[in-house]
Amino acid sequence: MGKEELRNELLKALSDAVVDMDEDKTGELAQKVLDEGLNAYDAVMNGLAAGMEIVGDLYDKHEYFVPELLLCADALYAGLDILKPHIKPEDIGESAKGQVVIGTVQGDVHDIGKNIIKMMFEVAGFTVHDLGRDVPLEKFVEEQMRTDSDIVALSAMMTTTMMGMKKVVQMIKEKNPDVAIMLGGAPVTKDVSELFGADGYADSAGNAVQEAIKMISRLREMQK
Amino acid sequence: MTEMMPKERIQRFFNREPVDVMPCFSGMGMVTVQAIEQMGIRFAEVHTSAEHMAHSAITTAELFGFDAVVIPYDMCTVPEALGRGVSLYHDSEEILYPTVPSKWATLDEVEIPTDYLGKGRMPVVDEALRIVKSKGDGKFAVGGWVLGPFTMAGQLIELDVLLKGTRRQKEKVENFLSQMTDLVIKVARHYQNLGVDYMNIREMGSGTDIISPRVWKMFVQENLQKIFSALKSPKILHICGSTDMIIEMMNECGADALSVDQKNNVAETRKKLGDEVLLLGNFDPYGTLVQMDASEVEQVIKTCIDAGVDAVWPGCDIWPDAKKENVETYVRTVRGYGKRPSPAVGRV
Repeated sequence: MGKEELRNELLKALSDAVVDMDEDKTGELAQKVLDEGLNAYDAVMNGLAAGMEIVGDLYDKHEYFVPELLLCADALYAGLDILKPHIKPEDIGESAKGQVVIGTVQGDVHDIGKNIIKMMFEVAGFTVHDLGRDVPLEKFVEEQMRTDSDIVALSAMMTTTMMGMKKVVQMIKEKNPDVAIMLGGAPVTKDVSELFGADGYADSAGNAVQEAIKMISRLREMQK
Repeated sequence: MTEMMPKERIQRFFNREPVDVMPCFSGMGMVTVQAIEQMGIRFAEVHTSAEHMAHSAITTAELFGFDAVVIPYDMCTVPEALGRGVSLYHDSEEILYPTVPSKWATLDEVEIPTDYLGKGRMPVVDEALRIVKSKGDGKFAVGGWVLGPFTMAGQLIELDVLLKGTRRQKEKVENFLSQMTDLVIKVARHYQNLGVDYMNIREMGSGTDIISPRVWKMFVQENLQKIFSALKSPKILHICGSTDMIIEMMNECGADALSVDQKNNVAETRKKLGDEVLLLGNFDPYGTLVQMDASEVEQVIKTCIDAGVDAVWPGCDIWPDAKKENVETYVRTVRGYGKRPSPAVGRV
């Protein structure tokens, strides 16, 4: 088998293993990528992340639900943990310098959507500063300034905690208008996102996968 | 016939007997900042004082002309009583409902104590119910609610453990949910014994935004059936989020009424379930009562009635910071537009 053929086969198998929620298989395949001397970053982006994108689609089509999404994420991590130490900075390019602050706002202890987004940023080579859940609003501002992060991603599962996001967006934009802000969570709509002055939004965990990919691409365009 | 008293109106409503006008009430939190401000207290103070809780509930109902008061306010009283703690956000300037700070990390750690009805703020809620019964009873109906077993489970163990467990640890999850079912029955019966006029089971974490209809059937339906067969009427099943795919299964659980939120297509639901079923819903309380201009509220409420609800319920707690004018328009529209019979309830 030629190298290109092997690459294609392994990428497809990695993607399938993520979609099939098969942690053992993604681990084995990730190791095979390394053993065969293939590019680890290519395997992450075009294997694991490609699989996760299909998972996002399946979620939107009501074929997969949150339990499946979480198990697919576990499978992705099983591969990512093996491949990540072998990713070369030159493969990622400028975005290797990308940093993101992420957390669920105060009053909200739901963090599933936040964790999915976090994973997608990790996949894309970002350094993620995860503040966890039930995070006081000022903490987002402090952490963005401390780390000089490019993106701040805020999550709120409940309408009632969503208003906290508006304050964070204002506080961060006042200090640094160039920071891209992403809002996520069930109550977040396009209107809310625009009203709050954010740069991107995701209303479901499945949609978050796509939105994170879009935001990362936009950021890369800006860095070019 | 003279105007009915609120409690009588709601009793007749749940019996599907003709009422004078559509009742205006909910089975979820209804307290507003207008009541809190009138009492001269902060929202954070309301969760630890039976007097504040009861008085703010009654004051809200009086201010806006609701037919009912609803206790408890937050979803952490039972988890707290089970030893999971509570974050009350005393220092926050925001209006924040309490949350559960320390969930069990795995299913193996779960240990349900036996004496939880007397722990944490459970006695505060009991006392608040006694106060509203003595001070508001007759004038207002008293509503109570308990989280459904799946939602309660998600308040007690990490949600990802519960959700992944539906595929990978089926037996353990089933056992845990069975414990939750017994717990929900115990708490709901306790509130019924304290005299609540209707009991709402809020299985809000089980819509199809989260789990599939198949998982709902496997892990939720049977437990809800057990709960509703153990409770007195009137009893309501409320699920928020996406419910179109499970509404028929919800209707097989034994509740007297079903409550859904704005994601449900009520007109379709009415077609599926027929006119006999009591349907409650389905406006977005935050969008309608907090964000919208008051002039838009009337149409939202009329749309719910036209779609075929028997009473216009908010899809979740009324957010305390609701605009006074919007809430007034909600109540006024229900009374005015709700004069004609609804599908399941006639008019005197």
